[in-house]
Amino acid sequence: MTQWKKTDIEQAMDCPMTRRRFMKWMTAAGVTAAMPCGFLVPGKAEAGIVYEGGYETFRNACPRNCYDTCGVVTYVKDGVIKFVEGAPESTFTRGGLCVKGNAYLRKQYSPDRIKYPMVQQGRGSGNWKRISWDEALTRISEKFIEMNEKDGSMLGLAMTKYSGNFGITNYGVEGMFSSLGYTTRMVGTPCWPAGIDAQNYDMGNMWCNDPEDMVKARYVILWGVNPAWCSVHTMKYIYEARQRGAKIVCIDPVLTQTAAKADEYWQINTSEDGALALGMARHILDKGLVDQDWVTQNAVGFDEFAGYLRSEVTVEWASKKSGIPAERITRVAEEFAAADPATIWIGYGMQRHVNGGASVRSIDALVAMTGNVGKPGGGARYGHLQTWGFNYHAMVQQPPEGAKGYLGPAAKGEFDFTEDSKGPAYANRTLNINKTARELLDATDPPVRALWVSCKNPLSQDFDRNLLIEAFKKMEMVVVVDQFFNQTVEQADIVLPVTTLFEEWTVNASYWHYWLSINEQAVKPLYEAKSNIEIAAALSKKMNELKPGSCTFPADIDTKEWMAKEFNKGVYDLFGIDSWEALKNGPKKARTNRLAWGDGKFGTPSGKYEFKSELCAEHGFNALPEYVASRKPYDKLRLLTPHTKFGLHSQFINLDWMEDFNPRPYVYIHPDTARARSIADGDRVRVKNKTGEVLITASLTDNVPPDAIMMYEAWFKNNPYNCQNLVDDTSADMGAYKAGAPGVAIHDQFADLVKA
Amino acid sequence: MDPEQRTRLAQLRDFFLARRAQDLARACTALSGGRTAPEPGSTYWDHAEFAFNKLFVGPVALQAPPYASAYLSTESRLMGEATLTARKIYEMAGLTSPLQGSLPDDHLGVELDAALGLSTMAEGLDAEAPRALWDYFLQAHLLAWIPQFIDKARRAEAGHPAVDLALGHLETWLDHQTIKEEGMTP
Repeated sequence: MTQWKKTDIEQAMDCPMTRRRFMKWMTAAGVTAAMPCGFLVPGKAEAGIVYEGGYETFRNACPRNCYDTCGVVTYVKDGVIKFVEGAPESTFTRGGLCVKGNAYLRKQYSPDRIKYPMVQQGRGSGNWKRISWDEALTRISEKFIEMNEKDGSMLGLAMTKYSGNFGITNYGVEGMFSSLGYTTRMVGTPCWPAGIDAQNYDMGNMWCNDPEDMVKARYVILWGVNPAWCSVHTMKYIYEARQRGAKIVCIDPVLTQTAAKADEYWQINTSEDGALALGMARHILDKGLVDQDWVTQNAVGFDEFAGYLRSEVTVEWASKKSGIPAERITRVAEEFAAADPATIWIGYGMQRHVNGGASVRSIDALVAMTGNVGKPGGGARYGHLQTWGFNYHAMVQQPPEGAKGYLGPAAKGEFDFTEDSKGPAYANRTLNINKTARELLDATDPPVRALWVSCKNPLSQDFDRNLLIEAFKKMEMVVVVDQFFNQTVEQADIVLPVTTLFEEWTVNASYWHYWLSINEQAVKPLYEAKSNIEIAAALSKKMNELKPGSCTFPADIDTKEWMAKEFNKGVYDLFGIDSWEALKNGPKKARTNRLAWGDGKFGTPSGKYEFKSELCAEHGFNALPEYVASRKPYDKLRLLTPHTKFGLHSQFINLDWMEDFNPRPYVYIHPDTARARSIADGDRVRVKNKTGEVLITASLTDNVPPDAIMMYEAWFKNNPYNCQNLVDDTSADMGAYKAGAPGVAIHDQFADLVKA
Repeated sequence: MDPEQRTRLAQLRDFFLARRAQDLARACTALSGGRTAPEPGSTYWDHAEFAFNKLFVGPVALQAPPYASAYLSTESRLMGEATLTARKIYEMAGLTSPLQGSLPDDHLGVELDAALGLSTMAEGLDAEAPRALWDYFLQAHLLAWIPQFIDKARRAEAGHPAVDLALGHLETWLDHQTIKEEGMTP
């Protein structure tokens, strides 16, 4: 072609061959030799014209705090992600994602992503200046060095991090802190600790069967769990179990999507789960339906438990406490005991109470006394960490020589698999993550001067938000590492942009299913985003530049190599692979350990299932799974703040696709409760309690009980809504044993509301 | 395009690719022919920078994303087809972005830089090809989104005289190209 017209150019946009011809012509004509561009540079001839028709595919894994931890296949063309789908090789994910996973491109390519390191002139002012990585790290390092000189240690530096990204290399944030010296760590989890401890007292570990074996169950009780929203891939196993004849019972204070799909739904009085389980247990005992053989061979303390049931528990009492009619309790108890196998899935919401751990123990006991522990298709399912045997290479870093620390015991989180130090008595200072606000304010000698936040949005997720704002005010420096401008970034001095799952190498396991996925870097990080371990390396370089020997984190790292360093023979053997490279062909499933307690060897001191746990008693609780009363109401209505369908804690809700369906928060109110307060659907209402208040729109529904109101935990991009204005930091009963700090009674909150 | 228009284009490019207050001060001083009153370093430019970041950079959700793809995609997103169109046009002109893959190719500043290159090329050679390429870039791409962008930036909550100045010059430059194009239509 010698004459080029506009239509030819149009055609060239879709045709690489035409573009190539055009470029050849231009080169021949010498046109491209000198151009007055200030930014663009001469390109390589024919650059970028390679992927005619095809896609490059990459393996990713959704790293959010979710049961499903989906294997993802990412399709890339021209260096841009075109679409994602669930990994077809995983029988759990089975080629599908959830509403959040399918929205990942809206996250990756949202115009709202944090792009550059920036510094705010006055926290909360909204006055941000762009700075280079070098400037950001210099400011941070100078502050850290100044603190160390002032305090003689790095204890004034605190880190809060939890589940925003569960990719294993992201434990490099903890590693970065260790490499700086002994620091202050927010330890514990708001998620599941009471239940973890309960299962440890009963069985010696938190361990559940492969969810895929739920198809073998003849009876399934979904107790305080909403997989139709929060574990969509498990639903197919529940349906399959029903197809094969199982009955599905759902117990929840709220008529959830899962409840609507169950064969029978019980709207239980919130936090009376223990009473209900014990009432069922008593009836099973009375009817002679206990699996005596199993109990005799595999358990200790059953006689004492039976004695407790006979003297302290009746079905009528359980009915009164739980609100479930006695005849339904007895009928379902009999059906459950008769089914073989029968299983209960214990949700995390039901243990977020002052009696949460005790309730989980009561439910465990119900499963155990019917001989359903250690059985395919059975079990008291809660979660597991069987597939998490990584090296934690990024996490395990040594303090600099001569570092001074805290003299006293330090707590460890449930994901902290490092061995206890056998060296000097120095340790990190650990503060309860569930009382972050109070602990940051109260810490002295030295006070917490600087806070580093990563993989977490404390101002949306931590409790007593008003107090947390006060705690932030006390900080001399707040650094937040994130992808979007949320309520925590709003209160930061410096924000650092972090990579998405598509922009980093890591590896992911689930706390529910038994699949393992690698996460390949599929595209270049957008803008100036760095992964958490790259940030650690860059900080280390700067620290040592300014003060040699002040940080031990390697300054030059290859993120792919660091991903590979997380693997070991144990992991390879468990998954039947010779190398992590095998995971490039798709996720792999653990070959063993998928039947919890199948050999009857429990991890308890007695090696048996412990209906009576002396360890539990030593820790200050009842030895038996006795009833523990719920928290005394401090206001007129119970306030529930569970998960939304459109987000994972505070993530995803800000994306445009989610906003289309879920544009604003609501408080859900039973029509009777609303009527008594002259509140109509759509009214603006003021929800108030001793902790704070929330101004919000009312939505009337009898899905919630008359004595409770509900609002989903969430962070909206264009709405100041924050349910943590109403949630105090009262502890759950258990959690300190295995998670480092007690859980938090998220659903033991109370409030009242008036028309605004 | 006359030399003055070309200079304007370079100044606008520098404005929209600014990283900090000094860059904005320099670009605005150039845009106003050296007549801008506030000295670089004064708080005036800090405020300009705060507004500039709210509108175009972050870390807050952008009030007026300076990316073609945010306007030309069915649903606003970055790295869409418009980004690849820009990239292809640069490639056909023998150009590439040094930040390809990390900074979307259709960032306004990058596109204005390409416009400078493509228009110069089109006028510097008596040949159809570069003219056709420049014409396509202008008509099918720049004019398809920049007016929407200007409108969005003007309606945004954040604002500053320095931003208004640049938007005004950008609009004038676009008008100039449009008039010229219309003038050429038989």
